[in-house]
Amino acid sequence: MTRHTAHLQEHADGVVLVTGATGLLGSLVVRRWAMDRHAPRIAVLVRDVARWTAMASRLGIGPSAVMPLEGDLMASGLGLSAATRWWLAHHASAVVHLAADTSFSRPLHEARAVNVDGTQRLLDVVGECPRISRVALVSTAFVAGRRTGRIGASPVTAADAAAGWVNAYEQSKTEAEWLVRTRHPGAVVLRSSTVACDDLTGVVTQRNAVHRALRLLHDGLAAMIPGVASTAIDLVPADYVADAIARLALRGGIDGETLHLCAGAGAMPLDEMLEASHACWTRDTAWRRRGITMPTLGDLETWDLFARSVEETGHARLRSVTRALAHFLPQLALPKQFDTTRTDALLGERAPVVRDYWTRMVEHLRATEWRGVAGLAELAA
Amino acid sequence: MTAPAIRGIAYAFAGASRSVRELALAGALESDAELLEGFGFARVHVACGESPYQLAHASASQLLAEQGVDPATIGLLVYGGTPSAMAFSPAHDAEAGAQSLCTADRFRYPATRLQYELGLEGASVLALDQLACTTLFGAVRVARALMASEGINRALCVASEFYPLNAGREAIYNCTSDAACALLLEAGGPRNRIAGAATITKGYYWDAAAMREEVVASYFPTAVHAIRRTLASAGWSADDVTWVIPHNVSTRSWEILLRLACLPNARLWTRNVAEHGHTLAGDNFINLRDAIAEGAVRDGDRALLFSYGYGAHWTGLALEI
Repeated sequence: MTRHTAHLQEHADGVVLVTGATGLLGSLVVRRWAMDRHAPRIAVLVRDVARWTAMASRLGIGPSAVMPLEGDLMASGLGLSAATRWWLAHHASAVVHLAADTSFSRPLHEARAVNVDGTQRLLDVVGECPRISRVALVSTAFVAGRRTGRIGASPVTAADAAAGWVNAYEQSKTEAEWLVRTRHPGAVVLRSSTVACDDLTGVVTQRNAVHRALRLLHDGLAAMIPGVASTAIDLVPADYVADAIARLALRGGIDGETLHLCAGAGAMPLDEMLEASHACWTRDTAWRRRGITMPTLGDLETWDLFARSVEETGHARLRSVTRALAHFLPQLALPKQFDTTRTDALLGERAPVVRDYWTRMVEHLRATEWRGVAGLAELAA
Repeated sequence: MTAPAIRGIAYAFAGASRSVRELALAGALESDAELLEGFGFARVHVACGESPYQLAHASASQLLAEQGVDPATIGLLVYGGTPSAMAFSPAHDAEAGAQSLCTADRFRYPATRLQYELGLEGASVLALDQLACTTLFGAVRVARALMASEGINRALCVASEFYPLNAGREAIYNCTSDAACALLLEAGGPRNRIAGAATITKGYYWDAAAMREEVVASYFPTAVHAIRRTLASAGWSADDVTWVIPHNVSTRSWEILLRLACLPNARLWTRNVAEHGHTLAGDNFINLRDAIAEGAVRDGDRALLFSYGYGAHWTGLALEI
């Protein structure tokens, strides 16, 4: 029995339904469970079985280890056949919901379509499954939105309309948490920080807004950053989050808890992050010759003024750059530290300290020539 | 040799002027008139019959007359602006003037003509180019250095430019005027002592048209860097600055820059932005003269002048008024 399956005994004769299994975290979690002979049976909800099969093969997951169920969060009844729903009703003992639209730049109605309405449809199916004793939702620590300071691991620390959110993703995940808690008060909510890279090697498989912002900094396209130098930037590697989900999602004794899967005290101050990135890029002679100055730090009001000015100029390429940054950067001006005390106690370890892998990640992005990370040309296209 | 000071400033604008809306109707703007009005611009001066040389001569002769200085006591003339014989062409004939750069007329220089016609018989002459809107700052920098190293007591710095004839009237969301500005520097002058200066050049951005996004993005952080270096050069803290005398670019961009630069006690003198717009010839110094004349900037104030020029150059000057 591995550390991933030590707490899974109560689901040993059931089936764990997993959504988002083709995503970065979902695939890593399923892999951890599937590779363990003590793991429960796993069913994954996937839109494309062939794609799942290929992915499972890549991950070394045998065809018998995981049962793919063709369906879609966007479809009524998850698009599952009546027979599949009957089967789930009789066998499913837990659901781990990882599927989400994690783009920071979607309009709210689009973010809600997957993250809220999709969750609603999943819960409707869960309602048909009387054996389900655990609902686990993988959420984001940034449901805290525009709140600042120490953010406790608790449902009440999610932002509300008065506090506000930086982007529609944060808001839609907050609404998803509320939905899950309302329908299943005993649900476990696992709030992940933003995933920076795969692991301590700094390799990046899945690019996101952090990498896009970094590229725009690297390319000298960011005029300013909202934030103060000492703001701690909370990031996590995917393997830590996947480990934590695999170990906590089905664990007994934590019903109704909210847990932060975050760097917490290991977050990295913004000025140190910028200096480390700059130092890394400076080693490249061609980059150094460009004389790019790191963006100035300013307050949110100044950032808003700048962003509004760019909008008013009507210059499409400038606007694309600023909009790409606007979905993410304002969080840097809203300093917060996520409380990881309970998670650390449950796992017996802390998330990796960001500075231990940040430079390697920056170097990886540069060495791979920002492959997959949108720059000016792609943003303006 | 004691530190040089700016003893006097004079300027000459082109005679004609156009409103931002008139410029928009004439197709001389890239942006909407409403946007540029929102950024603080109302009118600019447009050279029609004048040549850059005429404007330079007018500003310099006015300066010498106002200061009552014997031209023969000027030890250095630094000229910047429209090059060679092109400086003698009126705006409506600028293209012919440009063609003269490909002939022996290239060697007919406005700087030496100015020395002769103003009677600056004791002045050695230098000319600057390729500094765009920071030309007059460059002239001050060169003059300051030469005054110190060669024991020159008085220097005349003159910049004169018209915006290129076929370039419209907008430079990255800023409306531009045609003008000339002249400064008289004097060693040990009691007012407008040059306390510090800094210049940053980033050749990567030499092609401003092709790198518009990069130029806009680099403008603010590099400007903050240049301002901090200027203050450090003067031995000032951010709190010491009482006035910021701007180049007349969008008031919005100044609002953003001042927030980023964190100058808690500084006021921005913007009166001229609406009526004169931006000039390549040294609008900071034009503004300084007017701000002193109206009594806004007073003895004992500490003024920061900052400008950016295509090329790309960021430059600041710290003055004890």
